[in-house]
Amino acid sequence: MKSTIPQNDDFIDVPVFEFEKALKRVHQKKDLLKRVLDIFVNSLSERINAIKTELNNENWQSLESLAHSTKGSSWTIGAQQLGDISYAMEKAAYNKDIRLYNDLFLIFQDSVQRFLEVEKKMND
Amino acid sequence: MNKQSIRFLIVEDDEMIRLIHKDFLRDLYPESEIIEAENGAQGICHYFESQPNIILLDMMMPIMGGETFLDILEEGHHCNILKNNPKIIVVTAIKDVKELMSIGKRFAVEAVISKPLVQNQLKSLLEDWIP
Repeated sequence: MKSTIPQNDDFIDVPVFEFEKALKRVHQKKDLLKRVLDIFVNSLSERINAIKTELNNENWQSLESLAHSTKGSSWTIGAQQLGDISYAMEKAAYNKDIRLYNDLFLIFQDSVQRFLEVEKKMND
Repeated sequence: MNKQSIRFLIVEDDEMIRLIHKDFLRDLYPESEIIEAENGAQGICHYFESQPNIILLDMMMPIMGGETFLDILEEGHHCNILKNNPKIIVVTAIKDVKELMSIGKRFAVEAVISKPLVQNQLKSLLEDWIP
């Protein structure tokens, strides 16, 4: 029987970063894409810290809002995997499911690492 | 509305998305004025100062979200404090269809577009208003 606890594997087939999609969103402007990616990458640690704080306080409204905002930014920039995990986190926050939110948050942090690796390779 | 005097207001908490919107609008209407706000409260201040013609509005933002922004605008118009009628395009990552439909019925909301924004959708809307 499949476990109900979310696993990294549940999202592994979702692309970490879709470059072509991202480029299309910025009208094929590579310099703009770089600026946008810089903003996104710099925001990730801030987002993680904010989620940690709100998790400690079990502030569901903030947790939902943080996940919602991360979902929108991630999908916009082609970070499909981060967007999909954030969407699941948003729903978990809406349902005030602390266990699920925590599990998804761990997967989210792994996905951030995967995204940063892909993004770094792209810049090298 | 004409291309030279058009004023846009972007109300969006995400700096990255504001930058993408701004670049897109700048390409389409190089002579337009583009004002940015990080939340609904800033948006209201800019609205009073600048009286924009078209507003791109996010719904979920810290401090003040899009719902309250729309409430204040609607109240302002009912009380005749605000005279002009802006056109509002909501750009949101909300997925709930009922919620999206209810936003679409709000005062001055002309369109609701889902994130990630497909810019051609926005372009065709704007071209209807600003030939």
